[in-house]
Amino acid sequence: MFYRQAAIRHTSYDQTKKLYPIPFDKWLVVAVLLVALLAPFMMSGLYLNSYLLPWVIWSTAALSLNLLMGYAGQIHLGYAAVMAIGAYSSVHAMRLGVPFEFALILGGATAMIIGVGFGFTALRVKGLYLAISTLAVQYLVDWVLTHVPAIGGGTQATLQTPTPALLGFEITTDIGRYYLAFGWCALVTIFMLNVKRTGLGRALIAVREKDYAASVLGVNSYYYKLIAFAVSSFFGGVTGAILAFTFFGAVTPEQYSIDISIQILAMVVVGGLGSVLGSFFGAGFILLAPLFLNNMVTGMAEAYDFGVSRSILSHIPLILYGGLIMLFLLFEPLGLAKIYDNIRKYFLVWPFGFSRR
Amino acid sequence: MNISKSAEPPKLLSCEQIDRSFGGLKALNGVSLSVSRGEIFGLVGPNGSGKTTMVNAITGFYPPDAGKVIFNGRDITGIKPYLIARLGVARTFQNLALFKGMSVLDNILLGRHVHMKPGVLSTALYWWMARKEEVANRQFVEEIIDFLQLQSARDEPVETIPIGLQKRVELARALVAEPTFLILDEPMAGMNQEEKEYMARFILDARDEMGVTVFLIEHHMDVVTGICDRMIALSYGEMLAEGSPKEVITHPRVIEAYLGGSH
Repeated sequence: MFYRQAAIRHTSYDQTKKLYPIPFDKWLVVAVLLVALLAPFMMSGLYLNSYLLPWVIWSTAALSLNLLMGYAGQIHLGYAAVMAIGAYSSVHAMRLGVPFEFALILGGATAMIIGVGFGFTALRVKGLYLAISTLAVQYLVDWVLTHVPAIGGGTQATLQTPTPALLGFEITTDIGRYYLAFGWCALVTIFMLNVKRTGLGRALIAVREKDYAASVLGVNSYYYKLIAFAVSSFFGGVTGAILAFTFFGAVTPEQYSIDISIQILAMVVVGGLGSVLGSFFGAGFILLAPLFLNNMVTGMAEAYDFGVSRSILSHIPLILYGGLIMLFLLFEPLGLAKIYDNIRKYFLVWPFGFSRR
Repeated sequence: MNISKSAEPPKLLSCEQIDRSFGGLKALNGVSLSVSRGEIFGLVGPNGSGKTTMVNAITGFYPPDAGKVIFNGRDITGIKPYLIARLGVARTFQNLALFKGMSVLDNILLGRHVHMKPGVLSTALYWWMARKEEVANRQFVEEIIDFLQLQSARDEPVETIPIGLQKRVELARALVAEPTFLILDEPMAGMNQEEKEYMARFILDARDEMGVTVFLIEHHMDVVTGICDRMIALSYGEMLAEGSPKEVITHPRVIEAYLGGSH
């Protein structure tokens, strides 16, 4: 129908490496980009700040974790801690007078150094053992943030973030903050799209699938796992800082607790491991589904009288939310991105259904 | 340079007195062999005779307990597998080791890893850095795809194609690395007669056109005797016989190992 592979003839190898060889895909991406860019002028500040901005930021976080989990196949249960390191370091750096741009990079670099230093020890173990040892990072960082006043600001403390400024222009409006988050998200997305089509991505997948076969091809699996840890931690650190500067306007340990780590993990898994599009779907689902379900149930309760008590009513959205996650994963274990892909493939050959696979 | 006056051609690989045991089991016991440049060298033996262990000792997966592996004049005993791969040793696996979830093309492209420098920066700046390298390597990969007649399978997910083709993809992945030494661990296991003939032709062509020295483990005796220049036979980790295919398969100890003492 809209997707047509017919009449797309590549005449060079370069053309086959295009991100979106099918015109419909390309225009879809352009349309989504335009909507995302014009969104601040089309929706109210409330929607922008409480729906779109967090969606963009959490998608970036999910993308960054996806490099480590989806590509390199290394599970990380303490990703919020990595983000915390980035956020706290950049806030402290700015308070010491470092310009915003450098503070962000510094935050990312600190997260990277701690992430890699930790990766050195954690990568000696595999699978579940790695998962448990990444959990240790979460608890270590949590402890440091609450018990070391020089970093966390003391027990129960909240550190206000200084006003961010890009190239000397202070970012004080909602729109400015949204574009800052959006710009960072675009950079990470482009990187992740490129990973898919270069030797780096292939090497990471090789390490994930069969490390012995990778090594026979000259791939140093330990090195590539460390690379994945490093890049993923850098992105996570900067994203954590962006989250603090644009969304919360402050840093507290609770913003980067174990709950948040699990949520990012859920975003990656529900969205689809190793999928760029899936990270956006996953973040959107995990973040926005509870809000929408809540509004829906409250709205319905007001319209029709269910005759159930308020306390039960407040639990219904949670039940639905958990049920939805389970349903999606039962229906398609490869996540929301795979569901989209199935639909797309159906239309790719429509009206002929024979070449589905 | 190696300017020896002897009539012997220079050896590409020589293994000296390789020992390897797993717990109490002696998988290899004092095995020595040497492979000359441009040769197709066969390794045969009954199941469990230590053939794959020998390959693993050469490629660094199970470093030998004792003995030396010398490749191209360099001692590679105990070196990490990925470093040995970079010296020009490629191999295929007995039970296919292709990467599921990737296309046939991407699997073969991975074989080019030793000739590429993938990095974070070149990936981030794809249009200015990685692009040229990707296209150049794709070009070489396409030549091998033509060579092994894999054009029609190029874009398929690798796990969906038949096993005979998968074996060929693995050969392609090994060949695109432009190895000097190619180890094939039962490349024809589970193939029918026609596929076997194709594979034998590809191995001969790889040697003749690309100058690859081949180390072949195979159970199909017709193939081994047909294409190998020299071979050795192993049984329970011991060397039974060495020489031309005819000498080896008619050797009384080899016949005994395969058929039992009172055949």
